[in-house]
Amino acid sequence: MTVTLTIDGRQATVPKGTLIVEAAKQVGIEIPVFCYHPKLEPVGMCRMCLVTVGTPLVNRATGQSQLDADGLPIIRWFPKPQTACTMSVSEGMVVITDSQEVAADRKAILEFLLTSHPLDCPVCDKGGECPLQDLTYRHGPGVSRFDYDSKHHSAKRYPLGDLIVLDRERCILCARCTRFQSEIAQDPVLAIENRGRDARIVSYSNPVFDSHYSGNTTDICPVGALTSRDFRFHARAWELTNIPSLCNHCGVGCNTVLSTRRGQIARIMPRQNETVNEVWICDKGRFGHHFNSSPYRLTMPLIRRDGELVEASWDDALQHVASRLTSIIEAHGSDSIGGIAGACLPNEDLYLFQKFLREVIGTHNVDHRVGLSATFEDDTVYAVGVGTGTDLGRVGRDTAFLVIGSDLDQEAPILYLRVAGAARHGATLITAGGRPTKLDKQSNHSLRYRYGTATHLLLGMIHVILEANLTGNETVPHRVNGLNELRANVADWAPERVAEITGVPPDEIRAAARAFGEAKNGIVLYGPEGLGWGNGTQGTSWEAGSPLRQAVANLVTLTGFIGRPNNGVIAVLPHANSRGAADLGVVPDRLPGYVPAERPGLNAQEMLGGGVRALLVAGADPLAGVTLADELEFLVVQELFLTQTAQQADVILPAAALAERDGTFTNLERWVQRFDPGLPVPGQARPDWTIIRQLAVLLGADWAYATVGGVLAEMAQAIPLYRGMSYEQLSQPVSLSRRMSHYIYAGMSFQAEMREGMQWPALAEDGSAKLELDWLDPPAPPAEGDGFTLVAPRVLYDGGTLLGQAEILGTRLVQPHIALSSADAAALGVLDGQGLQVSANGQSISLPARVDGLVPQGVVAIPRNLKGAPAESLLGEGRIFSRVKVVKG
Amino acid sequence: MSLLAEHVLLRHRDVPHIRDINVYTNHGGYDALRKALSDMRPEEVTDVVKAAGLRGRGGAGFPAGVKWSFIPAGVKPVYIVVNADESEPGTFKDREIIEANPHQMIEGIALCAYAVGAQAAYVYGRGEFKGPFVGLQQALDDAYEKGFLGRNILNSDFSFDIYTHLGAGAYICGEETALLESLEGKLGQPRNRPPFPAQVGLYNKPTVVNNVETLTNVPPIVLHGAQWYRQFGTDKSPGTKIFCLSGHVARPGNYELPLGAPLRHLIEECGGGVPGGRALKAILPAGASAPILPGPGWGTGDILDLSLDYESVQAAGSMLGSASFIVMDETVDMVWAASKMAHFFKHESCGKCSPCREGTYWVEDVYHRLRDGSGRPGDVDLLLNIADQMDGNCFCLLGEFSVCPVRSSIQHFRDEYEALVKG
Ligand SMILES: Cc1cc2nc3c(=O)[nH]c(=O)nc-3n(C[C@H](O)[C@H](O)[C@H](O)COP(=O)(O)O)c2cc1C
Ligand code: SF4
Ligand code: SF4
Ligand code: FES
Repeated sequence: MTVTLTIDGRQATVPKGTLIVEAAKQVGIEIPVFCYHPKLEPVGMCRMCLVTVGTPLVNRATGQSQLDADGLPIIRWFPKPQTACTMSVSEGMVVITDSQEVAADRKAILEFLLTSHPLDCPVCDKGGECPLQDLTYRHGPGVSRFDYDSKHHSAKRYPLGDLIVLDRERCILCARCTRFQSEIAQDPVLAIENRGRDARIVSYSNPVFDSHYSGNTTDICPVGALTSRDFRFHARAWELTNIPSLCNHCGVGCNTVLSTRRGQIARIMPRQNETVNEVWICDKGRFGHHFNSSPYRLTMPLIRRDGELVEASWDDALQHVASRLTSIIEAHGSDSIGGIAGACLPNEDLYLFQKFLREVIGTHNVDHRVGLSATFEDDTVYAVGVGTGTDLGRVGRDTAFLVIGSDLDQEAPILYLRVAGAARHGATLITAGGRPTKLDKQSNHSLRYRYGTATHLLLGMIHVILEANLTGNETVPHRVNGLNELRANVADWAPERVAEITGVPPDEIRAAARAFGEAKNGIVLYGPEGLGWGNGTQGTSWEAGSPLRQAVANLVTLTGFIGRPNNGVIAVLPHANSRGAADLGVVPDRLPGYVPAERPGLNAQEMLGGGVRALLVAGADPLAGVTLADELEFLVVQELFLTQTAQQADVILPAAALAERDGTFTNLERWVQRFDPGLPVPGQARPDWTIIRQLAVLLGADWAYATVGGVLAEMAQAIPLYRGMSYEQLSQPVSLSRRMSHYIYAGMSFQAEMREGMQWPALAEDGSAKLELDWLDPPAPPAEGDGFTLVAPRVLYDGGTLLGQAEILGTRLVQPHIALSSADAAALGVLDGQGLQVSANGQSISLPARVDGLVPQGVVAIPRNLKGAPAESLLGEGRIFSRVKVVKG
Repeated sequence: MSLLAEHVLLRHRDVPHIRDINVYTNHGGYDALRKALSDMRPEEVTDVVKAAGLRGRGGAGFPAGVKWSFIPAGVKPVYIVVNADESEPGTFKDREIIEANPHQMIEGIALCAYAVGAQAAYVYGRGEFKGPFVGLQQALDDAYEKGFLGRNILNSDFSFDIYTHLGAGAYICGEETALLESLEGKLGQPRNRPPFPAQVGLYNKPTVVNNVETLTNVPPIVLHGAQWYRQFGTDKSPGTKIFCLSGHVARPGNYELPLGAPLRHLIEECGGGVPGGRALKAILPAGASAPILPGPGWGTGDILDLSLDYESVQAAGSMLGSASFIVMDETVDMVWAASKMAHFFKHESCGKCSPCREGTYWVEDVYHRLRDGSGRPGDVDLLLNIADQMDGNCFCLLGEFSVCPVRSSIQHFRDEYEALVKG
């Protein structure tokens, strides 16, 4: 349904329900705004957007417009000007924005706003990119008639939180910040207090301004009232060089702008990309960059001589590595060498890393599954990942989400915003987990399973869906094999039986399954806390997760939620390029593009356990808290920092950080995106891929890659998934009309290009591909009995290598602790902060207790990847759960 | 002295102790509710209120029955919110009803609930009504005990509850949508309209918001019928109205009169005239929220001939509003009076929209300097210009009304302003 109206004589045809301000934008007319923001509910507070509006006089009897003597519709004008940000268009409406009256109103509003404004533009961080400044130039009075001495004074430096400072004199009370926090971030921790001129923004949460998204308020604040502590008074907007980049802190792949000044990052802001991060980034992405300028960066190659690491030239260091590798291969064969690369490395580096091992060395001993990646890797998305063109920002009523075993607010914050936003726009949200997470507040169905039984829950849901005949009629009959076998297999998994195992009541299973099956589109996001238990000390959660992945794949396949936009699976993997690491075969049993390796090599645990004599480690810290295996003769580490692994190395090669180089990452939704270099490398550090290329050449390979783009070109040739990807395409700015269609804030960061990545298609999108409903028996449910279930969830502010260097986030870093329910705390006689001892597998550790209302009874949680790795020391790196004993002490 | 044989609203002045539920019921109290529940369908209650032409007594004068008929069918729950915020300067009528004749209001609320199918009502009182609300709660408890409220009222299948809530003392919380926000526990700032509360009100549910006095009119209307009610007042402003009289009169207080009574009657008969034989200089007919009407010596014609109904007061250039008449004699410095009102609006502006938040602040600032002897040439025009810049641009009527005293005092008493401006 569209509506045609006239704005300043121009005809605009726009969808029904469009606001006047948006309709005007579409015909190139900018109506000035302060409180309005396209991502927030309109409030009509600032009155900047006042325009004159009339509607045609309609004859009630005929429903036709009444015409005047000239045959033109008679317009009835509203007696007062109307706010263009709150009023929706209607058929035949006439809007005037270019009259003297409207100009006078704009001038009036600006004059009013400026009466209490401090007018300190010369020292204001927003100066140069400030909507108030810009609109005053365009529409405001040249002088103020208000007595400067009568100005209302208030706090100039009010710390709204430990990251954000509020200047209450500059605040124009537009409530963008408060609305962002309650509507988008779903952390309603800001409010307006008091009234009239004394009204002010406050935060009463504890800790103050407690939100993972606080920095976004500084972007959308239309004046310099909200500033981030690290940018405040550090640079003027026009001195900055703005470089398109990506965030490297999680798998969402938020587009960012590096604003640099004199070789340093002055700030990081979101770069608009509606299909990935819209206009947001989380605080980890915004403030976590301070590691770049850390004085602890490695700047020179180091070689261990007589037990000491001493500086060396690149030539010497690389020669040394090449000759040691050569001699070890000669003595023990190629399979005595192995490599572990972190999933934070760009695609090109990962591709060359595995290619180096496979083709130059001649071994499949390659892996990335250490640290956070140790528990969780995914190949499900290869077949049934969300269809290309999926845009979580635009789904609504007809879409159902199932989020299973993932705490999105901690693991993938901007994905949290988008899923919560979809729920706000009417999507059905089913959350399933061992504990409630922030997303449960938004969900329609909140299912609480016993840890280790997520697979059983899915089987119960599949049972209900098959029983109710909610299978996808369009795909299933033609493309799917194994439906009858699946039907027979899940016959045993009626909700009543599943309820006994999982603890989820049968009617809740039924209701959730129906809600999912009945939707038009379905998306499953699954995360680490849905995985199985692993067996004994060897098995990883990753292996134990196979039945869950199969169940997830079966669920979307049989419902037909595959092969189309806004349908399919997203695995909530931990790192910026976890998806790329899986795609590019940085695993011992798969070549790039999910092609099985004929002769699988050793996995990371096996290599670290003594399976190799020489180990190359790039961008990973697998030996934190672990001593070298006796068999390991030679350890090479490419790193930014002297990690615990690097400290044990024979050769350390200093690597360039993301901001200092270019490359591509593949995000959770399979968008391949490019980032540009913005900083000089420190000292002699080099991008990882050039180090690998150099080594390959020294070992006799004729590798001639000159640029990252060249590596990507080869990948596009060699790997069908990445076919068609090119460096040029990935840096194409989005068209001007798309940029125009959603201006969000006028900041200078927009000098950095808006780009769109390229998404590789999941197998299901190939209409001729047949899909199998394979069956894997669910893992045996964990034994009940004495003790507790220890779970190791991921947290946003963990003890990762890079984050630890960002001092500004220091107070937010999660300190090692054991979280437990208040009931269990009472039963154990322990108070918040007192010691608890946890023992499992013959190990035990003591940590302070933290009573946490979100932890269910019978469960204790120690976050993963904290300083000292307490959770990993009990569980082993690869596992997420264990049965443990907990006592006071 | 009175134009009424008997009070319709201030019945306690005729029947002592009518606040006692037994006295109230002995004098026909709750008969209207009994009649409605046994003999009338809900629409019939709305219809009789419509036919009576009862207009809202909170200020805007919107027909109550019409407002009730906007409640959409089929959306549940429906709420009633009784506006007892009574914060307009010079207004003190709702307080007298609550203190002295509470059951008539309670019965009116119950009738409204029956008419619109509401399950619950909230009486929202200004923060300072802590005392009066103790008595109100007692009256509610008594009504529950007698079966006029609660489950199965008077053994019908109509069940309904009334709750009370006190605000924290903000004038804006009398504005119906700010009131709803406040009642929901949020900052008291007005909401955008449309949607109107009848569609999307308290907790986003259909809600009738009516003033205390409005609802107190309902029981006699239901009991005696529209014709009976229309014997009072004018055709377009039927019924009786409580006039709050204050300022320079011998007997300030509440006076219930038929709408359309002459102002002369109110001031001279009821109020005993301006004391000391001083001249009547100006009248504020609706507290601070309407233009000032000049007295006989300052304006044209004799203001005392004004007929007190919505239409006539508007025709005279002001508004009847909540009918809070503040009388000022010849000793009053009109710049002072206007500055008091400027201060009131600055103090009460909620701060949501910029023209009101900043404009009221600025206006008061100019008054400050006029009054402390540092007025400047052009200040009077500046005041008028600031008022023009606010007029029509504010989010709600508080800001819009705030310019009334400024403009009207300058219009009628400009010489007093000019005298303060150093030439
Ligand atoms: C600034 C402002 C203050 C108001 N204060 C009151 C008040 O104190 N009491 C009241 O009944 N109505 C007040 N109103 C009017 C209410 O918004 C609303 O119109 C009224 O409660 C509706 O009831 P009625 O139709 O019975 O009059 C106020 C309106 C404005 C704009
Ligand atoms: S701090 Fe900024 S965003 Fe928040 S209300 Fe003030 S001006 Fe608006
Ligand atoms: S006019 Fe604006 S600032 Fe004034 S009370 Fe209404 S909304 Fe609040
Ligand atoms: S932009 Fe419309 S009122 Fe603020």
